[in-house]
Amino acid sequence: MILVYILSAVILAVSLILQSHPSFDAIRFAGVKPDLSFIAIIYFSYSFGSFYGQTCAFITGIFQDANSNSPLGLMTLPKVLIAFFAGFVGRSVFQGSSFTIILIIFVASLLKGGLTLIFALIFNDASVASLLHIVLPESVYNAVIAMPLFFIYDKIFEFELSKERY
Amino acid sequence: MDFFIRNKTGASLVFYILFCIISMSLQSTSFTLSIEGVASAFMTPFQKLYWYSQNNVRKIWAGFTDLNSLNEELRLTREKLQNYERTAEDLTEIKSENEKLRRLLNFGDKVGYDNVPAMVISKDPDNWFRTIIINRGSNDGIKINMPVVAFNADEKAVVGKVIEVRGSVSRILPVISSDLKIGVMLQDSRSPGLMQGSASRPGLAQIDYLSKSVQIPSNVYVVTSGQGGVFPQGLLVGRVSQTVVTKSSAFQRAIVTPIIDYNKVEEVYVIKYVPGQELVELTQKEEQKK
Repeated sequence: MILVYILSAVILAVSLILQSHPSFDAIRFAGVKPDLSFIAIIYFSYSFGSFYGQTCAFITGIFQDANSNSPLGLMTLPKVLIAFFAGFVGRSVFQGSSFTIILIIFVASLLKGGLTLIFALIFNDASVASLLHIVLPESVYNAVIAMPLFFIYDKIFEFELSKERY
Repeated sequence: MDFFIRNKTGASLVFYILFCIISMSLQSTSFTLSIEGVASAFMTPFQKLYWYSQNNVRKIWAGFTDLNSLNEELRLTREKLQNYERTAEDLTEIKSENEKLRRLLNFGDKVGYDNVPAMVISKDPDNWFRTIIINRGSNDGIKINMPVVAFNADEKAVVGKVIEVRGSVSRILPVISSDLKIGVMLQDSRSPGLMQGSASRPGLAQIDYLSKSVQIPSNVYVVTSGQGGVFPQGLLVGRVSQTVVTKSSAFQRAIVTPIIDYNKVEEVYVIKYVPGQELVELTQKEEQKK
């Protein structure tokens, strides 16, 4: 399991650094960029359970908030909550078909966006129009790129998943 | 203790939720800031390392491509030597290219103010906030509220202002952010207004409080008015792309396309412009309150 921890940390760190790099803006579509770290968090929840996923979400969220102009916790809390619920919709419930992955990431991204908007309205400042300009396009973008990412992560964690007979 | 171990998922979830809510509620205290500072300090070296390695790989790659182009130029030159033709034209072309490169190198001098050139090393990782992190900080004399400009082709325009300074990095709030309000005016009619990022149109800004009596032609330039004390007067900001007039409002609104594209900005210049004394005092009071 130690190797899983190390690989998870590397994946999350690389995702976070990549998506905060200026050149990542080149792949903006409809004004948004995909949330690579969130997709990885959902994968960890989906594959290794709620506790693992929400802990990854908490640590990643803190670093993301520190690197962003957002109040500490604003990006963390929605990720933690979604990771908690994604753990219930794990591989034991839904087998990893392409459609399932796309659906899970799309719905999870929508919920994350909705929660972020609510928390931003309460603790910071936001516009409901963000649902249309940020949440929806980001959810579609995340869902589209989740398939190849899940495939890569499955290959990376094959040794651990095979132990759990997935 | 056994209870927490048995229910680690629920217990940790409660802890995480409480932490986030308390942190968001206390966002302006030194407690939150210190945690952000530690996490940010941890992230910055990795971001810098990634940026520097990518930059070096790009330079090496550029070296290879330059070599190819040099080979091609050599072949062409041999042909030209054989033919003794078009020598004068080539010379003129090289001269103009040289001039162009010199002009690009001298952008720093063209800023018009004492400035600190900086590279963008990171941006907000999410889509909700749009700030830029540059590789210059308080060690280079950068202070909060200093204006930041960049060049798009030959046009010098405002990028935003410095909102956070650490030793070797600073955070810039760009003009497309709804948190940044700038006193601006239309360049031709000198009509004043207040510009801020548009929440409903990502990547654009909007000017409010423009008099309804003013005719606003499309593509008219928007410049800083100098009011507010942060930005010097006359700095280019963007072009008006649309106007919105509603019957219920006494004013009209103009939608502005910034000259500097947030998604493409790589090199910026922090102007060492000292903000107005009133603003400095106000900022100091705010800091003392925190």
